[in-house]
Amino acid sequence: MARAADGRDVIVASNLSRTFRRADRQMVTALDDVTFGIDRGQFVCLVGPSGCGKSTLLKLIAGLMLPSSGALEVEGESVTQPGPERGMVFQQDSVFPWLRVIDNVEYGLKCRGVGRAERRKSAEFYLERVGLSHVARAWPRELSGGMLKRVAVATVFANGANVLLLDEPFGAVDYVTKRNLHDVLLALWTEAGSTERRTVVFVTHDVDEALILADRILVMHSGRIVDDLAVTAPRPRTTDGLMEPTMVRHKHVLLAHLGLENLQGDAKAPTGGEGTEP
Amino acid sequence: MKWLIAQFRRRLVSILMLLAMAGIWQILSTIYTAEAVPGEPMVPGWQIVFSRTLLSLSDYWQGGLGVPSVAEGAPQSYLAALLSILDHSVDTIVRLYVGLLIGGLVGSLLGMAVSWSPWTRRIVDLPVQLLRTLPLLAMVPMFQLWFGIDFVGKIAFVGYGVGVIFFAGVVNAVKNVPQIYIDNARTLGASRLQIYRTVVMPAIFPEMRGTILLSLGIGWAAVLGAEYLGAQSGLGYVIIYSEQFAYLDRMFVVALIFVFYASISYAIFDRLSRRLLQWTPQAGRVVAHG
Repeated sequence: MARAADGRDVIVASNLSRTFRRADRQMVTALDDVTFGIDRGQFVCLVGPSGCGKSTLLKLIAGLMLPSSGALEVEGESVTQPGPERGMVFQQDSVFPWLRVIDNVEYGLKCRGVGRAERRKSAEFYLERVGLSHVARAWPRELSGGMLKRVAVATVFANGANVLLLDEPFGAVDYVTKRNLHDVLLALWTEAGSTERRTVVFVTHDVDEALILADRILVMHSGRIVDDLAVTAPRPRTTDGLMEPTMVRHKHVLLAHLGLENLQGDAKAPTGGEGTEP
Repeated sequence: MKWLIAQFRRRLVSILMLLAMAGIWQILSTIYTAEAVPGEPMVPGWQIVFSRTLLSLSDYWQGGLGVPSVAEGAPQSYLAALLSILDHSVDTIVRLYVGLLIGGLVGSLLGMAVSWSPWTRRIVDLPVQLLRTLPLLAMVPMFQLWFGIDFVGKIAFVGYGVGVIFFAGVVNAVKNVPQIYIDNARTLGASRLQIYRTVVMPAIFPEMRGTILLSLGIGWAAVLGAEYLGAQSGLGYVIIYSEQFAYLDRMFVVALIFVFYASISYAIFDRLSRRLLQWTPQAGRVVAHG
């Protein structure tokens, strides 16, 4: 369903599958023969009901898991293990509680032998960008859930990853905090300028979140990519913008894929095949 | 001064409990007057402990520093008694802490080897799990024949006793490290060695606190066990020597000295670990304020 890869792609998946053996020895297919390519600098959201394989796909790209069959390349290289060029923000709190906030942001740079002054400068810069300079020396336990997410975002940006993988990162925070986090993330992503932007793959089941963030939305269902929407609305996007006719149409399509409403009006059928590509 | 008074007030109940325990001992000594051998009460009262018994410890002073030993014909003296306590204590404490250090280090490394890779697991896990089940005190005579009755034998014994506890503690604690932290470190570019140093070790420390406290206790038992059988010095040697003459009061004093040392080492460890655990949410937690 999703268009095949071409030369410009950063992430290329061909016939990618992943199966698991459950405790009752049944084989479960989490990812079923998926083929797609993702452009450099694109903000892609993976949307689908829980259990559709979107987190599995993200873990494969991160290298935290290996495919059962098929090929996966990032920047032309086959993915065999995690690497700092692919940063990940997890759904759970991943900030190390035994390091102070600023030491968390520096962690990856320190692991790779970046000098003290340089990594401190970078960490301070990104902490400032996510609005957490005032808690640089605090322990993570002293921070709220939303602040911990900001630390995680600052950490992957400071680490210099070209590809950012976010696995329902803001799923557990309240609505207001979530909107603020979107602003923080988009500001960091856009400020690089369109030629040097990092590629983002963002997993969510929140339709509005996907419409506000994404250039492109890949819809997953039962281990397959079943739709591929291009969201061309201008940025920055607002709540009003979500009421534009094209956005409403996208939303109907997405909700239908999630099984929440039957398609009406001019929205297309979820299994119709054409998708809404440009 | 103000600080002292505040401390005293805060610990008033504990101090009273301590005095009560000493009082009960004193009462017991007057009620229960049986003697192990003539002149050696089963429950020596404090008036005996702090005079005759203390003085008698100079019997274990081996001479030197210009203070002649009883064996050389000198009379018992408090100075010789004090020196003898210090001398034997130093021997025991050095054996204890060198053994603890080596055992803790080796046990921890082996424990981490179990999770390092499938190969290291296969090599380490079963043998150490088997060694772990050997009863510690049954091993004392064997260790003496294998490693000799001198320093090395005792260190080896303490190291073994403590090492198996550290091993079990580390294996268990590593299993409980949340996968999310390891995944996070991996995606940030940490190598396996770096993950062990910067994620596994700090993450297991809160759980290892209990293991370390336990190993301090086992360490004391092990070093005494080693000294009971074939040592020419150390607090365990004083106890076993006293036992031959049914000197209950001397054994009692040595036991009190143990309590003193153990309390100090627990207090030091407590301070140290509190510093290292500033980051935990439980830092300084009290279940309910009364």
